[in-house]
Amino acid sequence: MEIPFFQVDAFTDQPFKGNPAAVCITDSALPETTMQQIAAENNLAETAFVSQAAGTFNLRWFTPLTEVPLCGHATLATAHTLWQQGLADPLQEIRFDTQSGRLTAVRNEDWITLNFPSLTGHTVHLPQEVQEILGVTPVHTIDVFNRYLVEVATEAEVYDVCPDFARLTPYPKVIVTAKAAAGSGYDFISRFFAPCIGINEDPVTGSAHCCLAPYWSAKLGKPEMQAYQASSRGGALRVKVDGDRVLLSGQAVTLIRGAYIINN
Amino acid sequence: MLSVKFFIVHAFTDRLHGGNPAGVVVLEEWLPDEQLQQIAKENGLPETAFFVPEGARFALRWFTPEIEMDLCGHATLATAHVLKAMLGYPGENMVFRSESGQLEVSEANGLYTLNFPSRKPLPAELPDIIRQSLDRMPVAVLKARDYLLVYASEEDVRDIRINRQLIDQINIDPGGVIITAPGRQIDFVSRFFTPQASHFEDPVTGSAHCSLIPYWAGQLNKKEMKALQLSERGGTLYCVDAGSRVLISGSAKTYMSGTLYIDN
Repeated sequence: MEIPFFQVDAFTDQPFKGNPAAVCITDSALPETTMQQIAAENNLAETAFVSQAAGTFNLRWFTPLTEVPLCGHATLATAHTLWQQGLADPLQEIRFDTQSGRLTAVRNEDWITLNFPSLTGHTVHLPQEVQEILGVTPVHTIDVFNRYLVEVATEAEVYDVCPDFARLTPYPKVIVTAKAAAGSGYDFISRFFAPCIGINEDPVTGSAHCCLAPYWSAKLGKPEMQAYQASSRGGALRVKVDGDRVLLSGQAVTLIRGAYIINN
Repeated sequence: MLSVKFFIVHAFTDRLHGGNPAGVVVLEEWLPDEQLQQIAKENGLPETAFFVPEGARFALRWFTPEIEMDLCGHATLATAHVLKAMLGYPGENMVFRSESGQLEVSEANGLYTLNFPSRKPLPAELPDIIRQSLDRMPVAVLKARDYLLVYASEEDVRDIRINRQLIDQINIDPGGVIITAPGRQIDFVSRFFTPQASHFEDPVTGSAHCSLIPYWAGQLNKKEMKALQLSERGGTLYCVDAGSRVLISGSAKTYMSGTLYIDN
Protein backbone atom coordinates (compact mmCIF):
# COMPACT_ATOMS: atom_id res chain seq x y z
CA MET A 1 0.00 0.00 0.00
CA GLU A 2 1.30 3.45 -0.91
CA ILE A 3 0.51 6.54 1.17
CA PRO A 4 1.14 9.88 -0.58
CA PHE A 5 3.49 12.02 1.49
CA PHE A 6 4.68 15.63 1.27
CA GLN A 7 7.27 17.50 3.29
CA VAL A 8 6.50 21.20 3.40
CA ASP A 9 8.29 24.18 4.96
CA ALA A 10 5.51 26.39 6.37
CA PHE A 11 5.50 30.16 7.02
CA THR A 12 8.21 30.81 4.44
CA ASP A 13 8.66 30.99 0.68
CA GLN A 14 12.16 29.46 0.79
CA PRO A 15 13.21 25.82 1.29
CA PHE A 16 15.01 25.00 4.58
CA LYS A 17 13.38 27.99 6.31
CA GLY A 18 10.05 28.25 8.16
CA ASN A 19 8.74 25.27 10.10
CA PRO A 20 8.82 21.82 8.43
CA ALA A 21 5.78 19.53 8.55
CA ALA A 22 4.88 16.27 6.87
CA VAL A 23 1.46 15.81 5.25
CA CYS A 24 -0.08 12.42 4.43
CA ILE A 25 -3.18 12.37 2.24
CA THR A 26 -5.42 9.29 2.18
CA ASP A 27 -8.89 8.47 0.86
CA SER A 28 -9.99 7.11 4.21
CA ALA A 29 -8.53 7.58 7.67
CA LEU A 30 -5.54 5.37 8.51
CA PRO A 31 -5.43 3.25 11.66
CA GLU A 32 -4.11 5.28 14.60
CA THR A 33 -1.13 2.93 15.10
CA THR A 34 -0.08 3.46 11.46
CA MET A 35 -0.30 7.25 11.83
CA GLN A 36 1.78 7.17 15.02
CA GLN A 37 4.38 4.89 13.41
CA ILE A 38 4.73 7.20 10.38
CA ALA A 39 5.06 10.28 12.64
CA ALA A 40 7.67 8.47 14.74
CA GLU A 41 9.74 7.72 11.62
CA ASN A 42 9.58 11.34 10.50
CA ASN A 43 11.91 13.20 12.86
CA LEU A 44 9.70 16.26 12.29
CA ALA A 45 7.83 18.22 14.95
CA GLU A 46 4.46 17.33 13.42
CA THR A 47 2.95 15.06 10.77
CA ALA A 48 -0.56 15.92 9.53
CA PHE A 49 -2.95 13.21 8.32
CA VAL A 50 -5.79 14.39 6.13
CA SER A 51 -8.65 12.46 4.54
CA GLN A 52 -11.66 13.68 2.60
CA ALA A 53 -15.16 13.52 4.08
CA ALA A 54 -18.22 14.97 2.25
CA GLY A 55 -17.14 18.55 1.48
CA THR A 56 -14.75 18.80 4.43
CA PHE A 57 -11.45 17.22 5.40
CA ASN A 58 -10.68 15.29 8.55
CA LEU A 59 -7.34 16.47 9.92
CA ARG A 60 -5.21 15.05 12.74
CA TRP A 61 -1.69 15.91 13.90
CA PHE A 62 0.92 13.60 15.45
CA THR A 63 4.33 14.34 16.96
CA PRO A 64 6.86 11.47 17.01
CA LEU A 65 5.43 10.59 20.46
CA THR A 66 1.73 11.42 20.53
CA GLU A 67 -1.35 12.98 18.91
CA VAL A 68 -1.74 16.73 19.54
CA PRO A 69 -5.02 18.73 19.58
CA LEU A 70 -3.93 21.69 17.42
CA CYS A 71 -1.05 22.63 15.14
CA GLY A 72 -0.90 25.80 13.06
CA HIS A 73 2.09 25.21 10.79
CA ALA A 74 1.02 21.65 9.84
CA THR A 75 -2.47 22.99 9.00
CA LEU A 76 -0.93 25.62 6.71
CA ALA A 77 1.23 22.87 5.15
CA THR A 78 -1.87 20.70 4.61
CA ALA A 79 -3.90 23.48 2.97
CA HIS A 80 -0.91 24.32 0.72
CA THR A 81 -0.62 20.67 -0.34
CA LEU A 82 -4.36 20.16 -1.01
CA TRP A 83 -4.44 23.20 -3.30
CA GLN A 84 -1.12 22.40 -4.97
CA GLN A 85 -2.28 18.85 -5.75
CA GLY A 86 -5.64 20.05 -7.08
CA LEU A 87 -7.50 18.21 -4.32
CA ALA A 88 -9.36 21.34 -3.16
CA ASP A 89 -11.17 24.08 -5.13
CA PRO A 90 -8.80 27.10 -5.33
CA LEU A 91 -11.74 29.53 -5.14
CA GLN A 92 -13.33 27.96 -2.06
CA GLU A 93 -12.25 27.86 1.56
CA ILE A 94 -10.99 24.53 2.88
CA ARG A 95 -12.85 23.29 5.94
CA PHE A 96 -11.02 21.00 8.34
CA ASP A 97 -12.74 18.98 11.06
CA THR A 98 -10.28 18.52 13.92
CA GLN A 99 -10.03 17.74 17.62
CA SER A 100 -10.13 21.54 18.10
CA GLY A 101 -13.32 21.90 16.06
CA ARG A 102 -13.79 23.38 12.58
CA LEU A 103 -10.77 25.25 11.16
CA THR A 104 -10.77 27.00 7.81
CA ALA A 105 -8.14 28.06 5.31
CA VAL A 106 -8.51 30.46 2.38
CA ARG A 107 -6.05 31.32 -0.37
CA ASN A 108 -5.06 34.63 -1.90
CA GLU A 109 -2.40 34.12 -4.59
CA ASP A 110 0.38 32.26 -2.75
CA TRP A 111 -0.64 33.41 0.74
CA ILE A 112 -2.80 31.10 2.84
CA THR A 113 -4.91 32.44 5.70
CA LEU A 114 -5.94 30.34 8.70
CA ASN A 115 -8.74 31.40 11.04
CA PHE A 116 -7.65 30.73 14.64
CA PRO A 117 -8.83 31.87 18.10
CA SER A 118 -7.51 35.15 19.56
CA LEU A 119 -5.86 34.47 22.94
CA THR A 120 -5.57 37.20 25.56
CA GLY A 121 -4.08 37.12 29.07
CA HIS A 122 -3.36 39.19 32.15
CA THR A 123 -0.29 41.06 33.39
CA VAL A 124 2.07 39.12 35.65
CA HIS A 125 5.59 39.47 37.04
CA LEU A 126 8.16 37.30 35.21
CA PRO A 127 10.04 35.28 37.88
CA GLN A 128 13.55 36.62 38.50
CA GLU A 129 15.11 33.25 37.63
CA VAL A 130 13.40 33.20 34.20
CA GLN A 131 14.63 36.76 33.54
CA GLU A 132 18.15 35.58 34.33
CA ILE A 133 17.91 32.42 32.18
CA LEU A 134 16.65 34.47 29.23
CA GLY A 135 19.01 37.38 29.94
CA VAL A 136 16.24 39.92 29.39
CA THR A 137 14.77 42.93 31.15
CA PRO A 138 11.00 42.72 30.59
CA VAL A 139 9.07 45.84 29.64
CA HIS A 140 5.80 43.97 30.19
CA THR A 141 4.87 40.32 30.82
CA ILE A 142 1.49 38.65 30.42
CA ASP A 143 0.34 35.14 31.26
CA VAL A 144 -1.61 33.86 28.25
CA PHE A 145 -2.63 30.32 27.20
CA ASN A 146 -0.32 28.76 29.83
CA ARG A 147 2.73 30.63 28.59
CA TYR A 148 4.60 33.82 29.33
CA LEU A 149 4.56 36.54 26.69
CA VAL A 150 7.54 38.76 27.52
CA GLU A 151 7.94 42.10 25.78
CA VAL A 152 11.47 43.53 25.75
CA ALA A 153 12.69 46.95 24.62
CA THR A 154 14.68 46.14 21.47
CA GLU A 155 14.98 43.64 18.62
CA ALA A 156 18.59 43.02 19.63
CA GLU A 157 17.44 41.77 23.02
CA VAL A 158 15.22 39.18 21.28
CA TYR A 159 18.02 38.01 18.96
CA ASP A 160 20.48 37.77 21.87
CA VAL A 161 18.39 35.35 23.97
CA CYS A 162 20.45 32.17 24.41
CA PRO A 163 18.91 30.25 27.30
CA ASP A 164 20.25 27.28 29.25
CA PHE A 165 17.39 24.98 28.21
CA ALA A 166 17.93 22.55 31.11
CA ARG A 167 17.35 25.44 33.55
CA LEU A 168 14.30 26.67 31.61
CA THR A 169 12.63 23.23 31.49
CA PRO A 170 10.73 23.49 34.83
CA TYR A 171 9.09 26.75 33.69
CA PRO A 172 6.13 27.34 31.33
CA LYS A 173 6.66 28.05 27.64
CA VAL A 174 7.98 31.56 26.87
CA ILE A 175 7.42 33.96 23.97
CA VAL A 176 9.97 36.80 23.84
CA THR A 177 8.92 39.70 21.64
CA ALA A 178 9.81 43.27 20.71
CA LYS A 179 8.58 45.99 18.39
CA ALA A 180 10.42 45.64 15.08
CA ALA A 181 13.09 48.14 14.11
CA ALA A 182 11.78 51.03 11.99
CA GLY A 183 12.16 50.36 8.26
CA SER A 184 12.44 46.57 8.71
CA GLY A 185 9.07 46.02 7.03
CA TYR A 186 7.79 44.22 10.15
CA ASP A 187 5.67 45.41 13.07
CA PHE A 188 7.00 43.00 15.69
CA ILE A 189 9.41 40.08 16.01
CA SER A 190 9.38 37.13 18.41
CA ARG A 191 10.97 33.83 19.44
CA PHE A 192 9.30 30.88 21.17
CA PHE A 193 10.88 28.51 23.70
CA ALA A 194 9.16 25.36 25.01
CA PRO A 195 11.73 23.02 26.63
CA CYS A 196 8.95 21.87 29.03
CA ILE A 197 7.42 19.92 26.10
CA GLY A 198 10.75 18.88 24.60
CA ILE A 199 11.01 21.72 22.05
CA ASN A 200 13.92 24.00 22.95
CA GLU A 201 13.03 26.56 20.30
CA ASP A 202 10.21 26.21 17.79
CA PRO A 203 11.13 27.67 14.37
CA VAL A 204 7.77 29.32 13.55
CA THR A 205 4.71 29.02 15.76
CA GLY A 206 1.11 29.68 14.71
CA SER A 207 -0.30 29.42 18.24
CA ALA A 208 2.21 31.98 19.60
CA HIS A 209 0.83 34.46 17.08
CA CYS A 210 -2.71 33.86 18.40
CA CYS A 211 -1.32 35.52 21.57
CA LEU A 212 1.00 38.04 19.92
CA ALA A 213 -1.57 39.44 17.46
CA PRO A 214 -4.08 40.81 20.04
CA TYR A 215 -1.21 41.99 22.28
CA TRP A 216 0.53 44.07 19.60
CA SER A 217 -2.75 45.12 17.97
CA ALA A 218 -3.80 46.87 21.21
CA LYS A 219 -0.32 48.32 21.71
CA LEU A 220 0.22 49.60 18.16
CA GLY A 221 -3.43 50.52 17.57
CA LYS A 222 -3.77 48.61 14.30
CA PRO A 223 -5.58 45.39 13.41
CA GLU A 224 -3.23 44.16 10.66
CA MET A 225 0.46 43.54 11.21
CA GLN A 226 3.54 41.94 9.68
CA ALA A 227 5.38 39.57 12.01
CA TYR A 228 8.76 37.83 11.89
CA GLN A 229 9.73 34.87 14.07
CA ALA A 230 13.47 35.31 14.56
CA SER A 231 14.55 31.65 15.03
CA SER A 232 17.62 30.42 13.13
CA ARG A 233 15.33 29.10 10.34
CA GLY A 234 13.13 32.20 10.52
CA GLY A 235 9.57 32.70 9.31
CA ALA A 236 7.21 35.48 8.21
CA LEU A 237 3.51 35.84 9.05
CA ARG A 238 0.77 38.38 8.39
CA VAL A 239 -1.67 38.61 11.28
CA LYS A 240 -5.05 40.32 11.58
CA VAL A 241 -7.22 40.56 14.66
CA ASP A 242 -10.91 40.12 13.85
CA GLY A 243 -13.01 40.18 17.04
CA ASP A 244 -12.28 37.01 18.99
CA ARG A 245 -10.43 35.44 16.04
CA VAL A 246 -6.95 35.90 14.57
CA LEU A 247 -6.34 35.52 10.86
CA LEU A 248 -2.85 34.04 10.41
CA SER A 249 -1.40 34.21 6.91
CA GLY A 250 1.71 32.57 5.57
CA GLN A 251 3.33 30.99 2.55
CA ALA A 252 4.63 27.45 2.17
CA VAL A 253 7.05 25.56 -0.04
CA THR A 254 7.07 21.84 -0.88
CA LEU A 255 10.45 20.20 -0.36
CA ILE A 256 9.68 16.51 -0.84
CA ARG A 257 6.88 14.74 -2.64
CA GLY A 258 6.66 10.97 -2.45
CA ALA A 259 4.90 7.93 -1.09
CA TYR A 260 5.38 5.65 1.87
CA ILE A 261 5.40 2.00 0.90
CA ILE A 262 3.96 0.03 3.80
CA ASN A 263 3.01 -3.60 4.36
CA ASN A 264 5.30 -4.70 1.54
CA MET B 1 14.10 24.48 -9.32
CA LEU B 2 16.05 21.23 -9.32
CA SER B 3 14.24 17.97 -8.64
CA VAL B 4 16.14 14.84 -7.65
CA LYS B 5 15.07 11.33 -6.67
CA PHE B 6 14.96 10.76 -2.93
CA PHE B 7 14.41 7.51 -1.01
CA ILE B 8 14.22 6.41 2.60
CA VAL B 9 15.44 2.86 3.16
CA HIS B 10 15.46 0.78 6.34
CA ALA B 11 18.82 -1.01 6.26
CA PHE B 12 20.08 -4.17 8.04
CA THR B 13 16.57 -5.50 8.45
CA ASP B 14 14.01 -7.49 6.51
CA ARG B 15 11.04 -5.76 8.16
CA LEU B 16 9.74 -2.21 7.85
CA HIS B 17 10.46 0.12 10.81
CA GLY B 18 13.36 -2.12 11.86
CA GLY B 19 17.04 -1.59 11.08
CA ASN B 20 18.53 1.84 10.52
CA PRO B 21 16.75 4.42 8.34
CA ALA B 22 18.88 6.19 5.72
CA GLY B 23 18.06 8.85 3.18
CA VAL B 24 19.41 8.27 -0.33
CA VAL B 25 19.63 11.21 -2.75
CA VAL B 26 20.31 10.43 -6.42
CA LEU B 27 22.36 13.23 -8.02
CA GLU B 28 23.63 13.87 -11.57
CA GLU B 29 26.36 16.18 -10.26
CA TRP B 30 27.45 17.47 -6.86
CA LEU B 31 25.52 20.21 -5.09
CA PRO B 32 27.37 22.67 -2.83
CA ASP B 33 28.42 21.03 0.49
CA GLU B 34 26.24 23.48 2.37
CA GLN B 35 23.16 22.24 0.51
CA LEU B 36 24.02 18.57 1.19
CA GLN B 37 24.26 19.39 4.90
CA GLN B 38 20.96 21.32 4.77
CA ILE B 39 19.17 18.35 3.20
CA ALA B 40 20.57 15.94 5.82
CA LYS B 41 19.55 18.33 8.60
CA GLU B 42 16.06 18.90 7.20
CA ASN B 43 15.13 15.21 6.96
CA GLY B 44 16.65 14.46 10.36
CA LEU B 45 17.60 10.86 9.50
CA PRO B 46 20.68 9.37 11.20
CA GLU B 47 22.47 9.48 7.83
CA THR B 48 21.71 10.65 4.32
CA ALA B 49 23.78 9.29 1.42
CA PHE B 50 24.37 11.30 -1.77
CA PHE B 51 25.77 9.69 -4.88
CA VAL B 52 26.85 10.75 -8.38
CA PRO B 53 27.69 8.35 -11.26
CA GLU B 54 31.41 8.40 -12.18
CA GLY B 55 31.97 6.16 -15.19
CA ALA B 56 31.35 2.60 -14.02
CA ARG B 57 31.55 3.69 -10.36
CA PHE B 58 29.60 6.00 -8.09
CA ALA B 59 31.01 8.76 -5.91
CA LEU B 60 29.40 8.45 -2.48
CA ARG B 61 29.21 10.80 0.52
CA TRP B 62 27.32 10.57 3.81
CA PHE B 63 25.98 13.32 6.10
CA THR B 64 24.41 13.18 9.56
CA PRO B 65 22.14 16.12 10.51
CA GLU B 66 25.30 17.72 11.97
CA ILE B 67 28.42 16.64 10.04
CA GLU B 68 29.85 14.78 7.03
CA MET B 69 30.87 11.21 7.97
CA ASP B 70 34.08 9.43 6.96
CA LEU B 71 32.32 6.08 6.50
CA CYS B 72 28.77 4.82 6.87
CA GLY B 73 27.69 1.23 6.39
CA HIS B 74 23.92 1.34 6.59
CA ALA B 75 23.57 4.28 4.18
CA THR B 76 25.90 2.48 1.74
CA LEU B 77 23.73 -0.63 1.96
CA ALA B 78 20.68 1.62 1.46
CA THR B 79 22.32 3.19 -1.63
CA ALA B 80 23.05 -0.22 -3.13
CA HIS B 81 19.44 -1.24 -2.46
CA VAL B 82 18.16 1.90 -4.23
CA LEU B 83 20.41 1.17 -7.23
CA LYS B 84 19.28 -2.46 -7.48
CA ALA B 85 15.66 -2.45 -6.34
CA MET B 86 14.48 1.04 -7.31
CA LEU B 87 16.66 2.14 -10.25
CA GLY B 88 17.17 -1.23 -11.97
CA TYR B 89 20.98 -1.29 -11.88
CA PRO B 90 21.86 -4.37 -13.96
CA GLY B 91 25.13 -5.59 -12.37
CA GLU B 92 25.65 -7.71 -9.26
CA ASN B 93 28.52 -5.55 -8.01
CA MET B 94 28.41 -1.87 -7.27
CA VAL B 95 31.61 0.08 -6.74
CA PHE B 96 31.67 3.32 -4.74
CA ARG B 97 34.46 5.87 -4.38
CA SER B 98 34.42 7.39 -0.90
CA GLU B 99 36.51 9.30 1.60
CA SER B 100 37.35 5.85 3.04
CA GLY B 101 38.59 4.52 -0.29
CA GLN B 102 36.89 2.19 -2.72
CA LEU B 103 33.89 0.31 -1.31
CA GLU B 104 32.24 -2.59 -3.09
CA VAL B 105 28.75 -3.92 -2.52
CA SER B 106 27.44 -7.12 -4.06
CA GLU B 107 23.85 -8.32 -4.11
CA ALA B 108 22.45 -11.84 -4.18
CA ASN B 109 18.83 -12.75 -3.44
CA GLY B 110 18.12 -9.47 -1.65
CA LEU B 111 21.14 -9.80 0.65
CA TYR B 112 23.70 -7.01 0.24
CA THR B 113 27.35 -7.57 1.15
CA LEU B 114 29.55 -4.57 1.95
CA ASN B 115 33.29 -4.97 1.40
CA PHE B 116 34.69 -2.46 3.92
CA PRO B 117 38.11 -1.71 5.44
CA SER B 118 39.00 -3.63 8.60
CA ARG B 119 39.75 -1.23 11.45
CA LYS B 120 41.26 -3.46 14.10
CA PRO B 121 40.96 -1.78 17.50
CA LEU B 122 43.93 -1.60 19.87
CA PRO B 123 43.93 -1.52 23.67
CA ALA B 124 43.24 2.04 24.84
CA GLU B 125 42.71 4.20 27.91
CA LEU B 126 39.09 5.10 28.55
CA PRO B 127 38.64 8.90 28.91
CA ASP B 128 37.39 9.83 32.41
CA ILE B 129 34.26 11.50 31.06
CA ILE B 130 33.17 8.30 29.33
CA ARG B 131 34.03 6.20 32.41
CA GLN B 132 31.99 8.49 34.68
CA SER B 133 28.97 8.36 32.36
CA LEU B 134 28.68 4.53 32.56
CA ASP B 135 26.64 2.66 35.17
CA ARG B 136 28.87 -0.44 34.81
CA MET B 137 32.51 -0.93 33.87
CA PRO B 138 33.78 -2.82 30.81
CA VAL B 139 36.15 -5.79 31.08
CA ALA B 140 38.29 -4.40 28.23
CA VAL B 141 38.66 -1.08 26.36
CA LEU B 142 39.96 -0.76 22.80
CA LYS B 143 39.92 1.94 20.15
CA ALA B 144 40.11 2.38 16.40
CA ARG B 145 37.84 5.19 15.10
CA ASP B 146 35.42 4.34 17.90
CA TYR B 147 35.95 3.36 21.51
CA LEU B 148 35.06 -0.32 21.85
CA LEU B 149 33.93 -1.28 25.36
CA VAL B 150 33.74 -5.02 25.95
CA TYR B 151 31.37 -6.45 28.56
CA ALA B 152 30.92 -9.95 29.94
CA SER B 153 27.29 -10.55 29.00
CA GLU B 154 24.52 -9.70 26.57
CA GLU B 155 22.48 -8.43 29.57
CA ASP B 156 25.13 -5.75 30.23
CA VAL B 157 24.75 -4.50 26.66
CA ARG B 158 20.94 -4.55 26.87
CA ASP B 159 20.72 -2.90 30.29
CA ILE B 160 23.60 -0.40 30.28
CA ARG B 161 22.66 3.16 31.17
CA ILE B 162 24.80 6.03 29.95
CA ASN B 163 24.53 9.49 31.53
CA ARG B 164 23.94 11.60 28.45
CA GLN B 165 24.68 14.94 30.09
CA LEU B 166 28.11 13.70 31.19
CA ILE B 167 29.12 11.91 27.99
CA ASP B 168 27.98 14.90 25.89
CA GLN B 169 30.97 16.80 27.28
CA ILE B 170 33.25 14.83 24.95
CA ASN B 171 33.48 15.14 21.16
CA ILE B 172 34.91 12.16 19.30
CA ASP B 173 33.60 13.04 15.78
CA PRO B 174 33.33 11.16 13.55
CA GLY B 175 33.55 8.34 16.07
CA GLY B 176 31.38 6.99 18.84
CA VAL B 177 31.25 4.48 21.67
CA ILE B 178 30.59 0.79 20.93
CA ILE B 179 29.24 -1.38 23.74
CA THR B 180 29.69 -5.10 22.98
CA ALA B 181 29.55 -8.59 24.50
CA PRO B 182 29.33 -12.21 23.38
CA GLY B 183 25.74 -13.12 22.43
CA ARG B 184 23.73 -15.87 24.06
CA GLN B 185 22.47 -17.40 20.82
CA ILE B 186 24.55 -15.39 18.40
CA ASP B 187 28.28 -14.67 18.08
CA PHE B 188 28.25 -11.12 19.41
CA VAL B 189 25.89 -8.25 20.23
CA SER B 190 26.49 -4.50 20.30
CA ARG B 191 25.06 -1.00 20.65
CA PHE B 192 26.49 2.30 19.36
CA PHE B 193 26.33 5.75 20.95
CA THR B 194 27.51 9.11 19.56
CA PRO B 195 28.12 11.88 22.11
CA GLN B 196 26.76 15.32 21.11
CA ALA B 197 24.74 13.93 18.18
CA SER B 198 21.01 14.52 17.69
CA HIS B 199 20.65 10.72 17.42
CA PHE B 200 22.49 9.61 20.58
CA GLU B 201 22.01 5.89 19.91
CA ASP B 202 22.43 4.72 16.32
CA PRO B 203 20.00 1.87 15.53
CA VAL B 204 22.39 -0.25 13.41
CA THR B 205 25.96 0.75 12.61
CA GLY B 206 27.84 -0.90 9.75
CA SER B 207 31.05 1.11 10.29
CA ALA B 208 31.27 0.01 13.95
CA HIS B 209 31.46 -3.56 12.64
CA CYS B 210 34.70 -2.63 10.81
CA SER B 211 36.23 -2.83 14.32
CA LEU B 212 33.86 -5.35 15.94
CA ILE B 213 34.57 -8.02 13.30
CA PRO B 214 38.39 -8.18 13.65
CA TYR B 215 38.06 -7.98 17.46
CA TRP B 216 35.54 -10.83 17.80
CA ALA B 217 37.20 -12.91 15.05
CA GLY B 218 40.31 -12.93 17.27
CA GLN B 219 38.39 -13.61 20.50
CA LEU B 220 36.14 -16.33 19.11
CA ASN B 221 38.67 -17.68 16.62
CA LYS B 222 36.04 -17.58 13.86
CA LYS B 223 36.02 -16.02 10.41
CA GLU B 224 32.25 -16.01 9.91
CA MET B 225 29.97 -14.57 12.55
CA LYS B 226 26.40 -13.44 13.01
CA ALA B 227 25.80 -10.27 15.00
CA LEU B 228 22.83 -8.41 16.44
CA GLN B 229 22.69 -4.72 17.24
CA LEU B 230 20.43 -4.44 20.28
CA SER B 231 18.87 -1.01 19.69
CA GLU B 232 15.10 -0.54 19.94
CA ARG B 233 14.73 -0.94 16.14
CA GLY B 234 17.27 -3.76 16.06
CA GLY B 235 19.40 -5.05 13.22
CA THR B 236 21.01 -8.28 11.99
CA LEU B 237 24.48 -8.34 10.40
CA TYR B 238 26.24 -11.30 8.79
CA CYS B 239 29.98 -10.76 9.21
CA VAL B 240 33.17 -12.17 7.66
CA ASP B 241 36.73 -11.34 8.73
CA ALA B 242 38.81 -11.20 5.52
CA GLY B 243 42.16 -9.89 6.72
CA SER B 244 42.52 -6.24 5.76
CA ARG B 245 38.83 -6.14 4.77
CA VAL B 246 35.57 -7.07 6.42
CA LEU B 247 32.40 -8.31 4.71
CA ILE B 248 29.17 -7.10 6.29
CA SER B 249 25.87 -8.39 4.90
CA GLY B 250 22.27 -7.41 5.52
CA SER B 251 18.85 -6.87 3.97
CA ALA B 252 16.95 -3.66 3.27
CA LYS B 253 13.39 -2.35 2.79
CA THR B 254 12.33 0.77 0.87
CA TYR B 255 10.07 2.88 3.10
CA MET B 256 9.64 6.05 1.01
CA SER B 257 10.09 6.79 -2.65
CA GLY B 258 9.88 10.38 -3.79
CA THR B 259 11.32 13.56 -5.23
CA LEU B 260 13.22 16.33 -3.48
CA TYR B 261 12.78 19.89 -4.81
CA ILE B 262 15.61 22.34 -4.25
CA ASP B 263 16.63 25.77 -5.49
CA ASN B 264 19.78 25.77 -7.57
